[in-house]
Amino acid sequence: MTIDRHEPTPAIVAEGLRRTFHRGRGADRQVVEAVVGIDLVVGRGERVAFIGPNGAGKSTSIKMLTGILHPTAGSAAVLGHVPWTDRRRLTRRIGTLFGQRSQLWSELAPRSSFEMLAAIFGIGRRRLGDRIEELVELLDLGELIDQPVRTQSLGQRMRCELAATMLHEPDLLFLDEPTIGLDLLAKQRFREVLVRLNDELGVTVFLTSHDVADVEHVADRAVVVNHGRIIADAPVDDLRRSVLAVKRVRVGIEHGHAADPVLDLGLPGVLAEPISPSLVRFEVDTNQTPIRRVLDTVLAAVPVADLSVVDPPLEHVIADIYEQPR
Amino acid sequence: MTVSRDARANGRDAVDRGDDEPPPSAAEAGSDRPEPPDPAPVPVWRVLAATSTSAWREALANRAGFWSQIAIMIVNDVVWVVFWFLFFDRVGAVRGWDLDRLVVLFAVLTTSAGIVLGLLNNARRTGQLAATGALDAALALPVSPLAYLLVRRVEPVNVGDLFFGLGLFVALGDPTPTRVAVFAYGVACAVLILTGFLVLVGSLSFWAGRSDAGDLGFHALLLFSNYPVDIFGGATRVFLYAVIPAGFVSSAPARLVDDFDVRLALGTGAVAVAVAAAGATAFTVGLRRYTSGATWTRA
Amino acid sequence: MRAPARAEGAIGWLGPTAAAARLGARRAGAQPGGLAFAAVFYLMVTSVLAGLWATAADAAGGDIVGYSAVALVWYIAASESAVLALPQRLIEDVGIDIDDGIEAELLRPTPLIVVRLAAEVGGMLPRLGACVAVGVVLARIIGGPAPDPAALAIAFPSLLLAVTVNLAAQYAFAGAAFWLRDVRSAWFLYQKLVFVLGGMLLPLEVLPRWLELTAKALPFSAMAYAPARLASGHLEPELLVIQSGWLAAAIVGTAAVYRAGERHQIRTGA
Repeated sequence: MTIDRHEPTPAIVAEGLRRTFHRGRGADRQVVEAVVGIDLVVGRGERVAFIGPNGAGKSTSIKMLTGILHPTAGSAAVLGHVPWTDRRRLTRRIGTLFGQRSQLWSELAPRSSFEMLAAIFGIGRRRLGDRIEELVELLDLGELIDQPVRTQSLGQRMRCELAATMLHEPDLLFLDEPTIGLDLLAKQRFREVLVRLNDELGVTVFLTSHDVADVEHVADRAVVVNHGRIIADAPVDDLRRSVLAVKRVRVGIEHGHAADPVLDLGLPGVLAEPISPSLVRFEVDTNQTPIRRVLDTVLAAVPVADLSVVDPPLEHVIADIYEQPR
Repeated sequence: MTVSRDARANGRDAVDRGDDEPPPSAAEAGSDRPEPPDPAPVPVWRVLAATSTSAWREALANRAGFWSQIAIMIVNDVVWVVFWFLFFDRVGAVRGWDLDRLVVLFAVLTTSAGIVLGLLNNARRTGQLAATGALDAALALPVSPLAYLLVRRVEPVNVGDLFFGLGLFVALGDPTPTRVAVFAYGVACAVLILTGFLVLVGSLSFWAGRSDAGDLGFHALLLFSNYPVDIFGGATRVFLYAVIPAGFVSSAPARLVDDFDVRLALGTGAVAVAVAAAGATAFTVGLRRYTSGATWTRA
Repeated sequence: MRAPARAEGAIGWLGPTAAAARLGARRAGAQPGGLAFAAVFYLMVTSVLAGLWATAADAAGGDIVGYSAVALVWYIAASESAVLALPQRLIEDVGIDIDDGIEAELLRPTPLIVVRLAAEVGGMLPRLGACVAVGVVLARIIGGPAPDPAALAIAFPSLLLAVTVNLAAQYAFAGAAFWLRDVRSAWFLYQKLVFVLGGMLLPLEVLPRWLELTAKALPFSAMAYAPARLASGHLEPELLVIQSGWLAAAIVGTAAVYRAGERHQIRTGA
């Protein structure tokens, strides 16, 4: 990790960040090491995906970096502020969005919540009006701004949440599992918005996720955390050429036809695995064979009833990253 | 009540080395170009006004429900006044307490409980909020989390108490200007005590991870505040003034309204400030142990 | 969810009913924290209210409407046991259950109300036991020996009847949730009626004569006044008969409310 000396203060610097929790009481009391030691530098304008399986320490880390949790040990500076001692000043310069917690008032229209947030952040009335217009435009909110939050779909709500997070023009966005629970379309839309915020406004984006697509479509850098430690840190472009190049193709074959003809397609980088007599899963290394070629070959070989292309689960990707030569 | 000041004073929980200063790497890297100056902090009253405006808007979003809940609470309170009417009708005055003074006591109690549970409703939910990680949202804002949370939620049922209490005092409390002034002072003290006590017992869940004891304490305080605790003698009375400050919530203010006494007034005020300070301190210290819901176990 | 009594394979009602009661009792016993909470809460309420009445009796020359200070302490100890042994949010919880839909339970062979009532009574027994134990000791300490041991003896079955009548009636009130969305208001009003007209806060004789007679003619008096009257040294066994009558009426009435509610739910599909 190198820091460009001509940049201003890095967005995030963390050294030996550690946090333990106590669980249970009395004799059952146990100490849980949620975060064992995080060392990390994130430069301004980066889009970092902080990824790992459930319980890896992602949320705990992000909560320490935003000043919500006090660490057990270690130090950190976010935009130059120590988050947990300088929380109030820091919150003026960062935006935080936690997928499972709302900052909007469910009975009210987002506009009302924005008015309250504006008062809290000291945004004047005229500036607020302009800002709401900008955000409505940027996040494509349209009428949503005046509809009570409880009547909105989760995807709509998350865009409104993001607008609330962006209201005070933060330099750095922390997003904890922002796409969790969203449907495919809403996820894609949300990812595009994040990239646009970064491109157009230069906002640094730091998000946790356990969705491979979030990494691929939002981040330019992936930091992998497991068991409370960073186990890998790589540019997403590199990953795209390696582990993220692997896709899964599931093919369902019409009733009464055998899967045999597709079990060995003879294509490089394609592994077939029969799951049931009429269901075959292919692991495709798209560096060696494009998906399109696999699909063409399969469709020509057997009558296909059902077909899907998906990313492999994050656990597999992480395992692959781990095994990469460094 | 700020987190930052307190966290700096705390050496144990925070960090091994120099958490007051940004780590060297950050300081070094930042030396090239100064950070933009901080925007001027927003006055706290404006933050609280904006937050409680939103809380009211949310409570009023279901207008019919709002008023019916208020009506129910008023009926509930009327029943208590009926009880006291029947009681004193049979019994006459007991140790200086008669129906008139009891009416003042009940007016102080319902007004202050209405303010605390109605307008500062989260005081009652401090333990739950801390245990389940619901403080995150407040901690993401540049405000004192306690102050923000207190005004964050309006509970219509208890606003009914507030309306009833004020109405009762105006109708039956002989509201001369002096009595109104003392009544207001008594209510202010009671609000501080109730809020401070609720925040204090709720903050125990930062350590205990659950808030049953807090619930019991809350029930006890409100229950005992319903009665003129002066009519009890000896140890019971000491207990109700000193351990559970119920006597200061309602009995002392009611006595002040009827028969002002500077020493009792100052004593009640001192207790109120002390309890409020204890609550704020417990919350601020506890916040360092906040786990954002990570250790919440239903053991 | 309350009372998930299972009824498969049962022909009569007795099996599932007894099973539900056992299950309820076990569940309450499995939460010693809840039991301790109920006992401490009872102790606080009873000591302050009994203290109030005892002080009042002393101030009034030792007697209020025929009750001595000691009798008043025993009265309050019993009346509070009868009310505080019950789950405090029963009506709300049942209302929420109905709101969420209890079709599955309605389809079981044993009538819902019987099974649920059994489970509630079973679940309440440990709490009643705790309150009675605390109450007897407390009344002995702050009051004195029971004014009439024989009357106190029949106060115990009377307590059991009182809480059962109360439970059945609460279910009937909660049945309003079949028609209304929010039963909290019903609960508030019901609770206040038990407090005053049921004689929980005061002996009914304290009321003006006409209101006293009205209160005694209403079912609420079977829920608190009856056992309290007995415990305060009035050997009036006919109170048990009156309570039994109200219990029968409450069960029949509650069953009728639920039958109507089921029909309503099926018709509206709500």
